[in-house]
Amino acid sequence: MFDKKHIPHLLMVFPFLALFAVFFLYPIVSGFVYSFYDWNATTTSRFVGLANYQRIVHSRDFSKAMWNLGSYIIITVPVGIAVAFCLALLVDSFKGFWQNFFRSIFFMPVVLPMFLAATIWRWIYTPNIGLLNTTRGFFGLPSVQFLNDTSTMLYSLIAVDVWVSAGFNMVIILAGMKNIPRQYYEAARLDGASKLQEIFYITIPMLYPVLFFVTTYGVISALQVFDTPWLLTGSSFSQYGGRQNALLFPVMDMMGRGFGELKFGQAAAYGFILTTVIVSVTAVMFALRKKGHQP
Amino acid sequence: MADLQIINVSKSYGAVEVLRDVNLSIASGEFVVFVGPSGCGKSTLLRMISGLEEAPTGEIRLEGKVVNRVDPAKRGVAMVFQSYALYPHMTAFQNMAFSLTMAREPKAVIKEKVGRAAAILRLERLLDRRPGELSGGQKQRVAIGRAIVREPKVFLFDEPLSNLDTELRVQMRAELIQLHAKLGTTMIYVTHDQVEAMTLADKMVVMNGGIIQQHGTPLGLYDDPDNKFVAGFIGSPKMNFIKAKVEAVRTDAITLSDLGGCSRLELPFRNFDADIREVELGVRTEHIDIAQDAGTTDILAAKVAFVEELGDVTFIHTDLPTGERLVVRSSKARHRGSSTECFVKLDPAGVLLFGTNGERIRSA
Amino acid sequence: MTTDVGLIRTAAPGYALDLSIWTVLKWTVAICVAVVAVFPIIWMINVVFAEPGVPVSINPRLLPTSLSAGIAKIDTILSETSYLHAYYISITYSLLTIAGVLLIGSMAAFEFALFEFPGKRPMFVIVMLSLMVPTAVTLIPTYLLTANLGWLNTMQGLVVPGLASAFGLFMLIQFMRTIPREMIEAARLDGASHFQIYRHIALPMSKNALVTLAILIFMQTWGNFIWPLIVAPSPQMYTVGQVVGLFNAPFSHVTVDIVMAANLLAALPPLIFFLLFQRKIVEGIAMSGSKG
Repeated sequence: MFDKKHIPHLLMVFPFLALFAVFFLYPIVSGFVYSFYDWNATTTSRFVGLANYQRIVHSRDFSKAMWNLGSYIIITVPVGIAVAFCLALLVDSFKGFWQNFFRSIFFMPVVLPMFLAATIWRWIYTPNIGLLNTTRGFFGLPSVQFLNDTSTMLYSLIAVDVWVSAGFNMVIILAGMKNIPRQYYEAARLDGASKLQEIFYITIPMLYPVLFFVTTYGVISALQVFDTPWLLTGSSFSQYGGRQNALLFPVMDMMGRGFGELKFGQAAAYGFILTTVIVSVTAVMFALRKKGHQP
Repeated sequence: MADLQIINVSKSYGAVEVLRDVNLSIASGEFVVFVGPSGCGKSTLLRMISGLEEAPTGEIRLEGKVVNRVDPAKRGVAMVFQSYALYPHMTAFQNMAFSLTMAREPKAVIKEKVGRAAAILRLERLLDRRPGELSGGQKQRVAIGRAIVREPKVFLFDEPLSNLDTELRVQMRAELIQLHAKLGTTMIYVTHDQVEAMTLADKMVVMNGGIIQQHGTPLGLYDDPDNKFVAGFIGSPKMNFIKAKVEAVRTDAITLSDLGGCSRLELPFRNFDADIREVELGVRTEHIDIAQDAGTTDILAAKVAFVEELGDVTFIHTDLPTGERLVVRSSKARHRGSSTECFVKLDPAGVLLFGTNGERIRSA
Repeated sequence: MTTDVGLIRTAAPGYALDLSIWTVLKWTVAICVAVVAVFPIIWMINVVFAEPGVPVSINPRLLPTSLSAGIAKIDTILSETSYLHAYYISITYSLLTIAGVLLIGSMAAFEFALFEFPGKRPMFVIVMLSLMVPTAVTLIPTYLLTANLGWLNTMQGLVVPGLASAFGLFMLIQFMRTIPREMIEAARLDGASHFQIYRHIALPMSKNALVTLAILIFMQTWGNFIWPLIVAPSPQMYTVGQVVGLFNAPFSHVTVDIVMAANLLAALPPLIFFLLFQRKIVEGIAMSGSKG
């Protein structure tokens, strides 16, 4: 039963849905099809079944990228959120102008385009003459190749990452803190809770949904990390990932296979492996949340 | 000005029947109030008249023309909403002028019409303000002004006063009555507040469960309700209901027994159906008196539960031995709250009879 | 909040001292963090506005030393590279994206938030699910599609594939849901057509959300690195990000101060935007985040 009265509604959603279908749904479907073909832009494509998937999973770069990704996420997400939480507490303890002032200042790194932040940090990390190494030199410490020494590379990346994202998470957590009714704190104070107890028994439990959001969002974006390590290492399709691929991550690996080696079939397959990982991780997180809600 | 007929209108959302076979005729210039508890279908009926809700079955006729398929904007109705629904980004003037702007009226005409409506509502000095800068009563007046500007054949009001405080509500009620007198336009007003309905209506339409229970003048409904629902809905405090047995039936009177346990009552009544053995009495609080002692059989013994002393009037809430609650209105003397036992006497002239199905049993 | 605590705990001995230590500590930490947050930006400015040949990192200064030197460096960049052209491309790219997303997104959000029509639910669910799909998956197929359309190195290639923003739609739907139904019905009775209701009621009422979204999209497109990189690789279509990328390449043999000048120029629009709208931006992020 189609009624003429629906026509204006459908006309209004049409532009969005058409673009969405063409530039989102179609690419997903075609990407899925590509992932079963050996397709490298120059030769004619050939159906290869699961070969692309197998080649990726068995490649050394893949395991290296996945290993890097795991270590990266385990550190960067908790550290990032802990820093953001502390910053939010700090900002919350100010009032009026100063609260707004510090909130804005702490947020500043978020505003910078990523390519810019990466450049600045690369200069900070430069051996011998970079800011960090100059400072170390001042204290008589030897120069460190922050971005070229496999023992420091990951941490150097995480530092940049936390610097960039802390402000973003802080703003969300702060908004969550503002939503906690004052009465809870007043009741706790009457019950004789200390400042620290207030944080642990009121702020954190009441922030649970917000912290969950920030964590989930953090994990999902960390799984897709690309810009920062790409810009901190070679920044070109012929050179990326840094020494011994210590900063090679899955999306970089995928991009390299696609635009560096022009193996689009493999890159598409890579994309689907990543989606599977991301969707499963997200599903697990939501399942844990549900479980966490039941006492 | 326009007359309006609603013929056999029904409406259901899925399995839920909101309106069942509604028939109503509204004369030109009447102030009609739909009143009933929430969910009775009164708002749906109003929205169907406005055209915001479709009327799938039946007919809605405005000035004799069926308007079921006419676009809401072209029916010549204007509506005032409960939340006022003023456009927050426009000034009072722009709000009132919006329909004329949409109709591409010349600027001078718009100015003139809005000016006239503003004068009626004493809004002249508020026209540059936005809704956020207006008080509740002022917003309400702008919303009414927006309706007036359209010069509708019928005004529709959907619980327009329920967001105002009591004092303002009384004041706005008076203003609405004056407005109706001034414009003379047909007005249909929806409310759940029976006092509001009584004070405003030329014709009051009581609805419940998607059905029009009764319509008529407010006092007509008050004095002569068709059924227990209407009797109980109108009037505050509510009408008292007491169960009784029919003991004897004569041509011009009946005798009821077992009132509040053991009392008897003689009622004048013509042509009572002798098959009816059980009835329910409806007595308004003003038709009950406190008696001095248990002198005659028509006096009921009761226990005082609590007393509401309002100064000019006192409501004595009593419990009968059967567990029924009887509220007595006493305006003579203030109650002396010491005794818990008391005696009450019903005024036979004020007693209405209802069958066990809730329908009124009338004397022929 | 500290003073409230103070009021309640005044009885505690030595509390005044305690309070001042806490306050000093608080300010110290806040200022340190603030320095860490803005230091790189200030450092960048210092490097640019300094006499060439004196590495700032060896001799750190708090304030820029030479305005003319900085202007000279910026002048060098603007005259010797196609930086201005890249600026033009980036601004066009951002403005077109903003206009497109706002228009298309608000039209769809208006329907999804306020009306019922056949297919609404499944469409909505699919669009919302797409928020979960990593951009990495669609990147390559979208690139191939854009290439097949012959849109490589064109403005439409940069802009059009990004217009159906599920995030933008989601944000606008959340906002438009707060528009009362009665408002829409009042407008209908006032004789406004469906499109007029959108144009005269829904759009002006969503102004705040639209402005916030516009700012977020600006930040995002201005900083977008990867999509211009693959879809518009020709120097004719270089965005600011790509030009800066050239300067930034490790073996670009350009001196630090010139690189920093190039970066500073790229950072200016978002920084200015942020300084102008910082409250809106921060609250926009907070709103979209705490509702998610």
